Amino acid sequence: MDTLLPQQFTQLSLHSLARTQHQFIQLNQQVFQQMGSEEPLQTLKIKLEPILLKPKHRESIVAAVDTSTMKIAETSTGIVIAVRGANVWKQNENYRYTRLGPFIFHITEENRKDVFNTLERAYFTSALNKNHQSAPTLPQMPTRIASLLERWLQAMLTKTITNGLILFDGSLTSGTFDTPIHRMKEILDNGRNRGSIVLAFSKMTNLRVNGCLITDFALDHRPPYLLETVGLRLKPPMVPLGEVYVAKLSKGSCAFRLDIDRQVSPDLRIEAVERLLGNDLISQSYPETLRLAHILCTFTANEVLAMQHFITRKCGLQMINRPDMHKLLFGPFGKGESYS
Amino acid sequence: MKLYRKEGNIVQILSFPNETVEKGDYLLVEDGEEGRALIVQVIDVQFATIPGVLEELLRSLPDGGELIQGEDIDPLEIAPHITYMQDASLLICKIRATVENDSLSPSSSWLPSRSQSTIKKLPIPTLLKLAKTNGQLPITLGTAKDSSLLTIDASSLDGRLNIITGKKETGKSHLSKLLMVSLVQYKATVVVFDLNGEYLSLGMTSDGKRNVNYDKIHVLTPSQNFKVALKQIGLHILLGILVHALHLPGTSTREFRRIWKELREKDELTLHELGETIRNWNCNLHVRDALFSRYHALVNSGFFTDNIAEAMLLEESLLKAKEEGGAIIINLRNTSTIDRQIVVEYILGKLVESLTNWKLKAAFLFAEEAHLYLRETYWDDIVTRMRHFGIFTTFITNQPDTIRENIYRQADNIFLFNFTNEHDLDVVSRAARVDAETVRSIARDLPPHHCLALGRVVRDFPIVARIKALDVKTMGETRLFFTA
Repeated sequence: MDTLLPQQFTQLSLHSLARTQHQFIQLNQQVFQQMGSEEPLQTLKIKLEPILLKPKHRESIVAAVDTSTMKIAETSTGIVIAVRGANVWKQNENYRYTRLGPFIFHITEENRKDVFNTLERAYFTSALNKNHQSAPTLPQMPTRIASLLERWLQAMLTKTITNGLILFDGSLTSGTFDTPIHRMKEILDNGRNRGSIVLAFSKMTNLRVNGCLITDFALDHRPPYLLETVGLRLKPPMVPLGEVYVAKLSKGSCAFRLDIDRQVSPDLRIEAVERLLGNDLISQSYPETLRLAHILCTFTANEVLAMQHFITRKCGLQMINRPDMHKLLFGPFGKGESYS
Repeated sequence: MKLYRKEGNIVQILSFPNETVEKGDYLLVEDGEEGRALIVQVIDVQFATIPGVLEELLRSLPDGGELIQGEDIDPLEIAPHITYMQDASLLICKIRATVENDSLSPSSSWLPSRSQSTIKKLPIPTLLKLAKTNGQLPITLGTAKDSSLLTIDASSLDGRLNIITGKKETGKSHLSKLLMVSLVQYKATVVVFDLNGEYLSLGMTSDGKRNVNYDKIHVLTPSQNFKVALKQIGLHILLGILVHALHLPGTSTREFRRIWKELREKDELTLHELGETIRNWNCNLHVRDALFSRYHALVNSGFFTDNIAEAMLLEESLLKAKEEGGAIIINLRNTSTIDRQIVVEYILGKLVESLTNWKLKAAFLFAEEAHLYLRETYWDDIVTRMRHFGIFTTFITNQPDTIRENIYRQADNIFLFNFTNEHDLDVVSRAARVDAETVRSIARDLPPHHCLALGRVVRDFPIVARIKALDVKTMGETRLFFTA
């Protein structure tokens, strides 16, 4: 796996944009940021005896990864998407970050396979050979490319940080198109080999116990605490690579699904959360490092304008604003696609 | 630049960072298809409301207010485009005129195309050419923002009421000196009420040598080289002094009239005889006391003399100024309030007399901080009656509220220097020849020695100019304690 700057991302980005020269583009009417994870149906139990936590202040690096993607325009042959990722780490009381991107791709039916496979080959050679997947469809491409970047960033952190706490956005469920099992295992192994522990926070979950979301099992107990789950089974080929907890790390109404590398012993898993409490700011049960990673990679409206400006200037694209059919047909009753 | 919106006579224009536009600049919004163009002036520059800017700023300050340190790997170099967007500005512009077939009209009733209009900076020389400000008697005030010369025509000051105002040390006196010297060079008669002795060295260069105006600058210092004899003075002028400067009551004024008549008939109009006559005049004791106290005030001023030879300088100066142009500087420094009022009453009376008798064609009067010596009724007099006699006044003040509102309303030209005080800006914005937004917005940001010229001199196109330097000896500087 290449640990250098993702040159291939840049080259592919420029190459794909070169093919858009002098086309008309339709401004985007549909925005999606931050990929949601697909979760299969399962059966699950939750232990209502809380695992009480005490912050451990032994100094540990806390690092987090997040990526974001966005469709910024449509062309007559495809879509123009932007992808960006951020690594944030806290060391010596200071937060620092590395932000990669935005990378802009023009994805068409013609080039989608090439783009995806080239990126796969460039960064996850072993994966492509062992577990070849068909290239995603055009609408799936933004999230799939962002996933590639996210896995690469995760891999970078697990390969470079020693004895740290590495925070992922989402779950440690693997076996989906985005998260091949061996790739996630490799990432977790890398971290473990360097003494680091991976903790994955899901902002949304659909894991339920007796019909209730696991994050709704609020106890009259003073945070911070964890609730342990048992018996998680997923439909093949999905495999949970983490033990699933409900984490309520601070006061407030929020609780999150927390997956911790299941190859780590239970004691070390609990200790990892306690070290997180002692080394990072926790607000609404969510670690600040991960929050920053999310904030830094998210595209603002200003950046979308700037990227549209970039593609019109660099590629000579002409923007057109096709009328919103909802508004056209339904007038004031048409709320636009974003509301539909 | 792109036309964004128009509301009333305000146009909003979106400007990008590579287009350097500042407050006071003129823009031409040209609609090729219409064959017309709007001339607009930038009166404010704001940040454009770009969506997402707040998020952009907030995310750079997550850690207790300190900037988060990090590295951005931006291979496509999108960041410059982001800052390009973030730094876009919104120009708030006032419509000044419409250009059609090279002629100007004040209309703003049409709407140029938002998509097709082109917007470019309008150089000041082009604007002035369109506005036809050029004339036979050019006065270069200085340089406009685009470094071109701002030249007005002296005739636009002729017969006009002007105001030079701004806060202290912004360059008001400098501009008034420039106008004075320029008018004198065109053989005009200029009279200056010099409160702080700032204009005494107009005839000297900064290194103390005589300049071309030396022979045309006549400095008159009351009770020193400037005195008057009772025989020269008309009764109505002296009554003006007694009533307005020395507040002589009506009954006493009537007695004085009789005394004056008797002395004139006897040809004994001297200070000594006047005193003796009052002493022996058969009248009410209080009236005599009132007359005596005024008599002593006149004597103590040192401004009056019985020696005719001592009292010819004003007449001579006016005569010289009439023939070859000149500035008569009335040095009011070190003069008490009462004496100052006596002198001003005399000068104004004498000017009206000279103009009435056509001894003078017209005179440009420069009055600094006029509220310190001008009586209440003179304000209206100056802008109405005296104007018809040929006295064209320029008021210079750093306290704009000391000039009455009706003066602002009738002012033909205003030279506005920096003001930061809202109240001061409010007062000036009452002028009829300018809109309040322009005054408030531009004047507040004027740097020292920069002036916003408003009114006829610029054909109602407000123009900011840096006033040019003048090679005259500086006088009237503030005396300081902490100086070497």
